[in-house]
Amino acid sequence: MKNIFSRRVNHPELEDRELVALAKDDAEAFGELYARYVKKMYSYIFHRTGNTQDAEDLTAKVFIRAYSHIGNYVDRGAPFQAWLYRIAHNLVANWHRDQARRKIIALDDYVAHSLQSEAPERLAEDVEERDQLMEAVRRLPEERQQLLLLKFIEQLSNAEIGEIMGRTEGAIKSLYHRTLLALRDDMQRTPEAGQQRRLDGTEV
Amino acid sequence: MASSSEIQTQDLLDAVTSGIQAGELTETPPAEVHELVGTIQALHVVLTPVEPRPEFVESLRTDIIQGRPGVIERAQQMPVRISVAAALALVAGCLLFFLRRLFDSDAPQAARRQREWLPRSLKISRALGNREWRFDKKEIQEEAVATPL
Repeated sequence: MKNIFSRRVNHPELEDRELVALAKDDAEAFGELYARYVKKMYSYIFHRTGNTQDAEDLTAKVFIRAYSHIGNYVDRGAPFQAWLYRIAHNLVANWHRDQARRKIIALDDYVAHSLQSEAPERLAEDVEERDQLMEAVRRLPEERQQLLLLKFIEQLSNAEIGEIMGRTEGAIKSLYHRTLLALRDDMQRTPEAGQQRRLDGTEV
Repeated sequence: MASSSEIQTQDLLDAVTSGIQAGELTETPPAEVHELVGTIQALHVVLTPVEPRPEFVESLRTDIIQGRPGVIERAQQMPVRISVAAALALVAGCLLFFLRRLFDSDAPQAARRQREWLPRSLKISRALGNREWRFDKKEIQEEAVATPL
């Protein structure tokens, strides 16, 4: 009965908070949230996993989990995307734990995606440099990887990153500084030496 | 606790990063962060958004949004009187099942004994001409009647 008399809702005009409230009973409202964030989630997960197949699998899991738990979502003032990023972060962390051969993640997909518009003469040199940098990024502890992806890919502010990672804005600035120093030091070492240790100091 | 110079360096790094991302870093960066500018620029070039396949986005949307709801979800969406009727029918069914087991407990056991015994006496013969498996039902039934349980 309520569906007959309820007025038509124009979902694209609504804010996230309103859509979340509707999505508990309205699949189309969740569809609008999906449309707003699916690319962000995919991009984040792709850089954390390094391949299309796992990025698609984990992106699907993020939204399936979000849809099945949207009824339990409590608005505590943080943006909805912070909740999605936390789900994605947890799934990626589990994925990394499940990977028996984490060190041989193929970077081919990454290169194919990011170098399509480069000039051919610089391609080989750039590929090598970018591979080294991406490998160095992937040797970072998980929270530092997350920080870099949110800052550079999503271009979020420190306050927004803090909401997602559960830290203060000052803590994010400090972590960013330490991350850059660690990354620079790692890149200055020989590649062989760099591959022997993680940037948090633990031996691989 | 970070010192004031550390906080100043962190703020400078933040400003330089924003400038590089916006393509507005025209001045020489301050000495405190100069050595990190190359790393920031490299990250800015390497860490770029990646688009998912449109087919993937569309099929996932269909799976999630238009997918069939599970039994629990469908039950939750039913009108109250239908939910109550379904629950009553379920309780009545369970009650009947247990009452039958309670008052007629011997019959299922006899049937089970017969089922266990029957396969032992199956005689399968292969016809020579048409290569068909044939069960001699009549013989099995006679043997079943003759053998006490």
